This record gives sequence, structure tokens and C-alpha cells, in this order.
Amino acid sequence: MLNESTLSITDLTEDAIPFSTKGPKRLAWEDLKEGLMRWQVWYMLAYQDIKLRYRRSLLGPFWLTISMAITVYSMGYLYSYLFHMNIREYFPYLVAGMLGWSLISVTLTDLIEAFSYPEAMLKQIKLPYSIYVHRVAMRNIIIFFHNILIMVPILIIFHNVAKVNFCLLLLIPGLFIIYFNFICYGLVFSMIGARYRDISQIIKSLVQVAFFITPIMWTPDILPPSKRFIAYLNPFYAFIELVRQPLIGHAPTLLNILVVGVLTIIGITAGYLIFPARRARIIYWL
Amino acid sequence: MARVDLSSVHVEFPIYNVRSRSIKNKFLKMASGGRVIKDANQHIVVSALNNISISFLHGDHIGLIGHNGSGKSTLLRLLSRIYEPTHGQIHIDGSVSAMLDIVQGVEAEFTGYENIYIRGTLAGLTRKQIKAQIEEICELTGLGDYLAMPVRTYSSGMKVRLAFAISACINPDILLIDEVFGAGDAEFMEKARRKMITLLQQSSIVIMASHSDELIREFCNKVLLLESGQIKYFGNAEKALEMYHLSRVY
Repeated sequence: MLNESTLSITDLTEDAIPFSTKGPKRLAWEDLKEGLMRWQVWYMLAYQDIKLRYRRSLLGPFWLTISMAITVYSMGYLYSYLFHMNIREYFPYLVAGMLGWSLISVTLTDLIEAFSYPEAMLKQIKLPYSIYVHRVAMRNIIIFFHNILIMVPILIIFHNVAKVNFCLLLLIPGLFIIYFNFICYGLVFSMIGARYRDISQIIKSLVQVAFFITPIMWTPDILPPSKRFIAYLNPFYAFIELVRQPLIGHAPTLLNILVVGVLTIIGITAGYLIFPARRARIIYWL
Repeated sequence: MARVDLSSVHVEFPIYNVRSRSIKNKFLKMASGGRVIKDANQHIVVSALNNISISFLHGDHIGLIGHNGSGKSTLLRLLSRIYEPTHGQIHIDGSVSAMLDIVQGVEAEFTGYENIYIRGTLAGLTRKQIKAQIEEICELTGLGDYLAMPVRTYSSGMKVRLAFAISACINPDILLIDEVFGAGDAEFMEKARRKMITLLQQSSIVIMASHSDELIREFCNKVLLLESGQIKYFGNAEKALEMYHLSRVY
């Protein structure tokens, strides 16, 4: 009798252990939610990355702005003659486009290493994985806001072409859409980058090619009308336009927004398919 | 009430960059206690923890012992939710704080103060909470004006002091410790010891990996002996230490 009763008690306590029945989707969702809630962490890490890079320099993060300014100003001047473009049209177009390009291309290459670069940290403390993606995205957004100063002289010098008007406000929703896509695609790319280390090299070389085949230095209307779709369907172009057009006083075209919409849906789908399924494995890939 | 339950938990590390499998196999067998097997996709897999089923309850102060590569650190990382089990289930009730490789992650270019804020934020504290504790932390480091200097100017002992003081200011339900008593002069060791004792008393469950018999005897009421990623013994400290020392003779 006594034996039986003790047995049943131990059985009960065994059963009472509340093992989580949360599926991978639920855990992934909690990761994303906690990642958003702990924004102080990724904001701090993002800012720290930038501060660290320029710790003992006098101008600090503004070196980013200066080196960017030298590049785009000299390019703008030279290329307007090279392409026989009206400098007053071309210069603001190129500078604004370069700002958008550097935001998107640098973030893309950084995202591949979002998990593999801070490897030691991932093995040291438990943080939601999404925090590392936010960190990379945020870091580049902060850099973008340093770089945006480059536009100020342009908007003054070429004020009759590049107008400051209410279209500039479209930059804000544009950046939110870009940020959202950074996170969606970031989750996917950072996981692929952690698992297959060659990917980061491949992407780096592809990004270099993309710079030339994307309308940044050139405008799509240089192409014959039958070939313009190549430019319009370019995903880089679609995202760059979200930044470029507001900066020079226009709104992005409907086609642009449509392409961005489709790309966003693809990004959400890819993230939804990959992140919940393989999230628990990330740490084992490092 | 804090509680930890593990039910037939396995942790297996895939090794992706293996070319010559046989050599790697032999090497891994020699270098670690972990067993090397292949998974379904023909990847080499190191089994770091093998079929662990155990429960830790409120009031348990567990000493974790075992040879190098027996799975102590992996178990601590599993409990701090860094690794998720490859098979089996784990349930943790209560907040966890891990003092693993504490000096890791101290940023050399930043000052002591900045590092305190960074670590505090990572541990989930708000700026306000850190501010409330900063004096106590500074006092514990005993670094004085050095805290305003970049950490790269510190000696290794000073780095340990800083890292320890920051980690010790968090009061969790479940405290995980991996060999924290390292460098540091006598005066600091005494201070750290006192802090550690209060920290241990405040925590509901403590799990600490150590190679020091005295520490285990002093702080732990139960000992978990691991061997090749499996539980060899769980229970009385003296018995476990005896078994541990016996198994040392290869």
C-alpha cells in the first residue's frame, strides 16, 4: 500500500513538470517581440559600433560623412561631364542616389555577418537573435543620418532643381519600409551567412556588380525604352528611389512603390519560412 | 519558486569544416571527452551532452565537476538558454544570470564606467537601475579613479575586478557560475568572496562549475559529476569528489 502511494506521488510530480510545448514558430515570434522590446540594447550596440570605430579620432563618426562627401562630390562633378549631363540635374540626383546606395549596400553586406561577427558574444550571453539584426540595421541608419548632411550644400547650391518641399517628409515612411525590409531579409541573410561562410564573399562581389547595373550614376532614361524595365525591376533601384526622390524634392513613382511592396512580401515570406524553422540551430553554426 | 528540469537532453555540435573524417575523429577523441558521431546528413557531430535528465529545485547549490571536455560549460550554457537542446526538453522557471567567461566582452576602448553601463544594459537593466547600483559596483571594484580610464590601460587583474563587480550586481533566481575565482589580489579576493556569499544566499538555485574542491565543499550542498557528457553521479559532495579523483587515474 505504502509503496504504491509513494509511487503515484512521484509519478504525479513527474507529470507535473511543465515542459514547454511551444513550437518553433511561437519561440521565433517571442524572439522578435523581445528583440523589439529591448530596443535599448540594440540601439546601444549600434551606437557603440560606430563610436568604437572612431574612438580616438577628433571628428569621430563625421569621418564617415567627410569621406562620403569627397567621393560623391568628385564623382558628381566628373561624371556629369563624362555622361554629358546637365550638372544641375545630375549632381543632386547622383549624391542622393549614392546616399541611398551606401545605406542599402553596406547594410546588406553587414547583415550577412550579423551573427558570425559577434560570435563570441552570442556564446556568452543569451539575447534574442533579432537583436543582432536590429543592431546592424540601426547602425547603418545612424550612419545614414550622419551622411545626410552631404545633401545640405547640394540643396543650397542647386536650390532651383533640387527643391526642399513636403516630399522630403516621404523620406520617413521610406526609411521605415527600408528598415522593415532590413529586418526581414536580415534574418534570412544573417542565418545563411552564419551557416555558409562563403556567402559573405559572394555577396560582396555581387554588390560591386550591382553598383554598376543599378541606376545610381546613370538615369534609366539613358536606356532605350524597351530596355528600361531592367532598371525599374532592379530591387536596389526600387529601394534607392525611396531615399533619393524625397531628398531631391520628388515622390517615388507608383511602379517603384509596387516593386518595393512585392519585395517586402517576398522578404516577409522568406523570413517566415526560414527563421522559425532554423532559429534554434543558429548558435550551433557559430 | 525557481526550478530547472531537464528530460533526456542531448546537445550535439555539428562540425562543418571537416575534410578528412577519420583523422578528425581520432583527434577529437583524444582532445575531448566528448563522443564523436555522425548525424543523418553525414556531418560529424560532437556529442557534448548525452541523455541528461535531472531536476534542480529551490535551495539547491550544485557543484558541477568533471574533467576538461566533460560538458560542464556546455551544461551551463544550456541552462542559460544559449544552446537549445538538440533532443529532449528543458524547462526553466525563474530569471537566470550566468557568470561564464566574465572578462570576455569587456570593451577595451571604453572606460570602466561605460563598461558598467554596457554590461548592465545587456543584462536587461535600465539606465535608472544601473545608476542606483553604480556606487556599490564601483566600491566593489576598488578601482577608484581608474574607472574613468579606458579598460585597455588596466592590468588583467583589474579587468577581472571590473567584470566580476558588474556581473555580481545582478540578483537572479538562478545563478550559473563558471570558474569565476581567477586573478585578483588578496584584498579583492576577500571582498569578492563576501559578495559571492551574499549572492549565493540570495539566489534560489546556484550551479557552479569549479575545479577547486574547497570551493565545492564550502558552497555546495549537492554535486553533479559529469563524464563524457553524461551524468556519472548526482548527490553528496564528498562521494562525488571521491569518485572524481578516482576517475582521474587513466
